[in-house]
Amino acid sequence: MKMLITQCKVEIIRILRNPYYVFWSLFMPILFYTLFTKIFNTGIGNQEEWQAHYLMSMTVFSVMGTSIMTLGIRLVEERAKGWSMFMRITPLSDSVYFISKMAGQTFIHVFSIVIIFLAGAIINGVKLSAVEWISSGSWILAASLPFLAIGTLIGNMKKVDTASGISNILYLGFAITGGLWMPIDILPEFIQNITTYLPAYNYGNGAWLLVKGELPEWSNVVILAAYLAVFMILSIYIRKKQEAAVG
Amino acid sequence: METIITLNGVTKKFKEMKAVDDVTLTIQKGEIVAILGPNGAGKTTTIMMMLGLLQQSSGTVTLFGSPPKEKKVRERIGTMLQEVSVIDALTVREILQLFRSYYPKSLSIHELVTLTGLNEEDMKKRADKLSGGQKRRLSFALALAGDPDLLFFDEPTVGMDISSRRKFWNTVKELQNKGKTVVFTTHYLQEADDAADRIILFQKGKVIADGTPAQIKSKLSRQSVSFVPGQNALSFEELRSIPAVTEVYQKGDRCYLVSENSDIVVAEIFNRKLDVKDILVESGRLDEAFEQLTAQEGADVIENVNNAV
Repeated sequence: MKMLITQCKVEIIRILRNPYYVFWSLFMPILFYTLFTKIFNTGIGNQEEWQAHYLMSMTVFSVMGTSIMTLGIRLVEERAKGWSMFMRITPLSDSVYFISKMAGQTFIHVFSIVIIFLAGAIINGVKLSAVEWISSGSWILAASLPFLAIGTLIGNMKKVDTASGISNILYLGFAITGGLWMPIDILPEFIQNITTYLPAYNYGNGAWLLVKGELPEWSNVVILAAYLAVFMILSIYIRKKQEAAVG
Repeated sequence: METIITLNGVTKKFKEMKAVDDVTLTIQKGEIVAILGPNGAGKTTTIMMMLGLLQQSSGTVTLFGSPPKEKKVRERIGTMLQEVSVIDALTVREILQLFRSYYPKSLSIHELVTLTGLNEEDMKKRADKLSGGQKRRLSFALALAGDPDLLFFDEPTVGMDISSRRKFWNTVKELQNKGKTVVFTTHYLQEADDAADRIILFQKGKVIADGTPAQIKSKLSRQSVSFVPGQNALSFEELRSIPAVTEVYQKGDRCYLVSENSDIVVAEIFNRKLDVKDILVESGRLDEAFEQLTAQEGADVIENVNNAV
């Protein structure tokens, strides 16, 4: 138990001290939020609704980033540097290691959500009911699973450079095509046509609906679950294949 | 004597290449054992199998009577591997605390600091910001964190300066006095000789010699008997006929008889009352013999060593 708690603590400290996390998952979302709700005039009619909507976009953007980038790149790094091999000689079991990684990651997600929500409340005085705050926060936390699966998929890569390159492209690609940076109506038509099938849109849409007092659509849940399944199966398949190649 | 490590007919194949070929050995409690051999002799592969990080193709490996992957075994071993860079974003103190939490009994931070020569300044540093030497010390401290009964060091002194080396081996001796067993790999005969009380010599995946440093050295060394031939000097052919002589050559005015057993040669010289003077018995330089052994061309020397064993 002491082992698990220490391990979790260490995982959390490591993420908090990671400059990429602080930049992409805290600084950038809050900066964008300030820019697009305070500084540029977006010409969107209902300001209050836009401020709540964009707060969700940015929180989703933040947590998605931590899931894909922090987890994936860290896994590759740990393997490339021989660290994961070294851990295998210690009495720390794989399950404790995995659980503490996930628990640490979850803690960080909650932390990011709280910070960005607070930023929204302070910068724009966004007012939501307690149910809306909690339900949208919970949605963002729970629906990050498919992105964590993408993270572990990236975690199978051999080189840190490839992993960070690909995760960056995915991350920004998802954010733009999912309408997280700007409303979907502004995007080119061909993106609008496919966006509802892409993971980031469905992730964001759940939160957008919740702050309007509605429930996420079934399609959001189903599509995200499908992505989760696909990424997990792929990740496990690749892992098995790599193990076979080594053994 | 308590047996700590047992390898029984252990072979490891990579594709069709045998990296380790039918190795059988046991290591007893309290021994400091050097696994000596050139690069590619199978030293690291053997250590990896002892640690359960590589699965042997055939044979059995047991540590404390159990397979190395078992948790109760892991709780009793400590390891320093080659080129393991340490976990990032944590300070030395945090990493040591983390590792101490893995083991049922652990050494205090204070003990780890004294044993490894880390200082207070290093403790506050981020592990990834440490210099090469400091990293080695940290990695030594991590190996000791769980107060292990058995320690593995893979090329431990690579990148250490002379004083760190001395400090390191002194600590290892201290650990031995506390009843710890130590296994390390090296490709320096000198280091194995200085630090170990037993040397297991590896060549091409096989154990070619196993004994105390003195035994290994005598197996490796080529002795020669030399003299200045007198008036009635013998021909080379006649000299070669002396038992135990393997090679005869002349250098300057001296004639050299190379042999594995200089005693016999000297006795023969007197028995036959050869016309020689100024007899000298020399042992060939060890490091040369070792280099020869470990070089590709040294295949015949290996044969000789094998025969001698």
